[in-house]
Parts: sequence; C-alpha cells; structure tokens
Amino acid sequence: MKPAFSVLFFTVLSGAGLGALALLSALDLFAMSGALRMPIPPPLMPIALAIALAFVLTGLSSSTLHLANPKNGWRSATRWRTSWLSREALIAIVLVLMASCYGLAWWLIAAPTLRLLLALCTLLAAWGTLHCTAMIYASLKPIRQWHTWRVPLSYFLLGHASGALLVAGIARSVGLSGDAVIAIASAFLIAAAAAKIEYWRYIASEAGVITIERAIGVAHGVHGAPVPGRSAASRSVMAARLFDSGHARGTFLMREFLVTVTARRRRGVQWVMWIGAFVLPLAWLTFGSPHWPGALLAVSASIIGLLAERWLFFADARHTVRLFHGDPRT
Amino acid sequence: MKLGLVIDLDTCVGCHACATACKEWNGSSAISGPLSDYDPYGAEPSGVWFNRVRHYEVGQYPDSKTINFPMSCLHCEDAACVTVCPTGASYKRADGIVLVDQDKCMGCNLCAWACPYGARELDEESGCMKKCTLCVDRIDNITLPEAERQPACVLACPTHARHFGDFDDPQSNVSKLTAERGGFKLLDELGYAPVNRYLPPRAPPAVATAAPASESAVRGEGALSRLVRLARQTLAR
Repeated sequence: MKPAFSVLFFTVLSGAGLGALALLSALDLFAMSGALRMPIPPPLMPIALAIALAFVLTGLSSSTLHLANPKNGWRSATRWRTSWLSREALIAIVLVLMASCYGLAWWLIAAPTLRLLLALCTLLAAWGTLHCTAMIYASLKPIRQWHTWRVPLSYFLLGHASGALLVAGIARSVGLSGDAVIAIASAFLIAAAAAKIEYWRYIASEAGVITIERAIGVAHGVHGAPVPGRSAASRSVMAARLFDSGHARGTFLMREFLVTVTARRRRGVQWVMWIGAFVLPLAWLTFGSPHWPGALLAVSASIIGLLAERWLFFADARHTVRLFHGDPRT
Repeated sequence: MKLGLVIDLDTCVGCHACATACKEWNGSSAISGPLSDYDPYGAEPSGVWFNRVRHYEVGQYPDSKTINFPMSCLHCEDAACVTVCPTGASYKRADGIVLVDQDKCMGCNLCAWACPYGARELDEESGCMKKCTLCVDRIDNITLPEAERQPACVLACPTHARHFGDFDDPQSNVSKLTAERGGFKLLDELGYAPVNRYLPPRAPPAVATAAPASESAVRGEGALSRLVRLARQTLAR
C-alpha cells in the first residue's frame, strides 16, 4: 500500500495524544480513589492535557489532507452504524469536547464529582478513538497483514507508550522525577516492542495467504475434467503468471496498491523505528535527568521512530489487487 | 432482483472491446460524470477505467493456456465498499447494483482498499471514487429499444463472452449458464458473495499427438524432402 504521509502523521500524532489523555485521566481516577498519589501536580494538569489535546488536534487536521474531495468531509460522521472511519470521526469529536471540558475542570478547580465524570468520559473516548483508528485497517479483509487482532493491539500499546513518554517528558521538563509515569512508559514501550515482534512473526507466516492461482480461479487447474492423454501430475502444476496487464502506463490501482519497497530500504526504516521509537526513549527513561532538552529529544525521537513504524505498516501491506497484477502471493 | 454479469473465460479473446465500449459510454454518462484522463497524449497516459482486461498464462507447456481476464465491479451481495464508506456515498440499489453518489464522496479511498478486486478507481480530477455502474443509464432507459437495455460491455463483446441478467431468476440466461458451465465466484473465501460469475475454460478436445521424428530419420532424409520441409516451415511462419 502507498504510505500517504498525512495518514502516517495523523495516526502517530493522534495516537500519542490519545495515549497521553488516557493515561492522565486514568491516573486521576486512580488518585481520586486513593489507590495512588497523583504523579502530576495539579497546576500542571491543565497544561499537560492541553499539550496532549494539541497532539490529537494536529493529527486529526492532518488526516483531512489525504482526502481528494475534502468539501464533503463533514459527511464522514453520518455512517457510524457500519463504517469504522465514520465511528472514528464521531468519537474523535466527542473526545475533543470531553478532554477540553476535563482540562477546564482542572483549570477552574471544579467539583471532584464532575472532574471524576469527565475523567472517565475522556478515558473511554480516547480508548474508543484509538480502537476505531486501528479497526479502519484491521477490518479490511483483502489485506491479510492488516486483518488481524495484532493491529488494534499494536495501535493501543504504541499509542499508550508514546503518550506515557509525552507525559513523562512534561513531568521531567518542569524538574519532577515522575517515577510512576516513567515506570508506566517503560512497561508500555516493552509491551509495544513485543507486540511489534509478534506482528512481524505473524505476517511472515502462511496465515491467510492467497495465491494468484486462487485469485483468478485456477487453483485446481484450468479445466475441471482431466485431459485425456495427460498425466494427473502434470495437471496439478498449474502455476499462473501475468502475461500482460492490459495497459501501457500506470493506473490508480498500481499507484495505490503496487508500491514495492526494496529489502535494503525496508531494513533501514526498521532500524529507524527500533532506535527512534524504542531504544532512545527507553534509554532516556532509564538514564535521563529532569531537564527539558532531553525530554524534547526523547519525544521527537519517538515520533520519528513511530512514523517509520507506520510507514512499514503500509509498505508491508499486500492487497489482493496485487495478485491480479501478477504477484504470486499476498 | 440480483443483476450482474457472466463472463466466459473460454470464449473471451482479450480484445478489450468491452473496456473501450465502457470507457466510451460512461465517459459521457451523467451517472459518474466524465472518466478523467491524465496526460492522454503525453508520455505517461493514464486515467479512470471501470473495466480492465488482464492476460494470464497458466500451466507449463504443453499443458498451458492463456486466459484473458476482464474485470469490473462484481456487485457483491455483501459489498464491503458500501459498509466502510463513511459518507454514505457508496450504496447498493434494490436490484443489487452498487453505485457511488458523486455528490457525497469525499475521496478517502477506503472503499478502494476494502474492494479485493480493484474495481474502484479514484478520479484525481473530481476527487471522487468511480466504479462500474452496470450501465444503469442503459438498463433503466425506456427510450432505448429493449434489446439495447444492457451494459455497453455486453453489447460490444464480439465473441459473446459477456452476458447480463438477473441471478435471482433461475430461468434467466445468466443463471442457466452458471449452472451448466460451473460458473465460479472470484475470491469467494473473503465472503463478499460477488454476484458476477466467471465461466471456466472448457477442456479442449483430445487430440492424438504424433510421436516426434527421431534424429536418425531426420538426418537420413533426402536433400529434396529437406528443402520441402524448410519451405513449409518458412511459409508456416
């Protein structure tokens, strides 16, 4: 699949923002129930929530850039009964409203009951938006690399890992040690790395593979009946190949689905992902000091690493249209 | 009503008449608007087509076969392109035809991703998704003679490899052809229940193949007969 930069940018930034909002509201809920002491001091909460919301809003606005006809974009909130994209659009609006009110509740020191309610709504809406984003991809059956539960799991863990890193960065920027947040961020980073490894193991396996012979309906040979004078063995070898694609130059389908990445380039991007999204943030969480330059670097490295991860997510996806263009298998 | 096409892979000769007839009719159709061409007379001509014919080679010689494979929208019963559409631009009519409302599409490409067959193409000029309409503006058009109320591709096919009809009617030509010839659904395992069916190539009649002449026999032939053989081979080319 063609990696559209606006979509990569959207899912990475809004993922981090949503993870941060979910973490902040969850921490608040735990603190209010008395289970732990709030690791972020109250005066900092509205600022942290505003930064997280800014990530979400930047991501959401960049998502409209990939629309070929954005004037009809408002209609995307109308088909929530069936479409995950429509659900995402709706719940993202709910989330932005809830998170704004929740930030205001902290700012204006609202009654704890109201704040509790808004924290719960923000948490659920952030999870809902993250899940809908992932399900847009995971619901597509023609792409076996996307049609798996590992996709929503990865989006959830990577969103929370980068969001927790963002919260840890905010805490350390103002000179706090932020031990609880750092432990949470490290745990999410390690879990997300494990999910990525499992995802790549899965897509390298044979699960759900479709061949060109199945796609054009000759998996059991061209003719149903055996041909007299030909052995059964020779009929079973019915490898199909594209003879002619029927058009001289590029088509929409080729531009959208037939993007092929060299193994060398893929390896390079994978290194960017491992170092940027996992190694540098973990090193900073473990050895970093409470100063803002390190925090800024760690969050930036994480965003670049996750952009590489999302690029790979698109580059690795092999749509069944490729079979009709001569790919032997998906 | 479940309108759709039967495409005969046995008789299709891969001439692209269906694809060009489609482009001609739908290029000026009010249903999907013009099918844009980009750089039509330049070095990299490209554009929107509803119907594309690809050609495959299957098997190893001498058990090999060329299959010409026209593909357009299969008007699935469980059309994922309609399910995923966030704006409601994609819809399915009561007679089974899947259409795109050009006034509602926002060009997000999600329906093209959801379609396993590559039946949808984005028109980069209008920014809207385009797809086969099964020529609704022909089959609904009561001003046309009844015999012409069929998709343009079906009327254009010189080998009658394309048939249009109602799959809900067991007596229709398409239902009968599907039953007689073992018509199959493309990528049925994905569960979209495509309406269009493809008829597999028929088994060729058995032909007795002569044993090839042995080397010694060829070497031993006279100069005249060798000349005649060479002349025959040249003419045959």
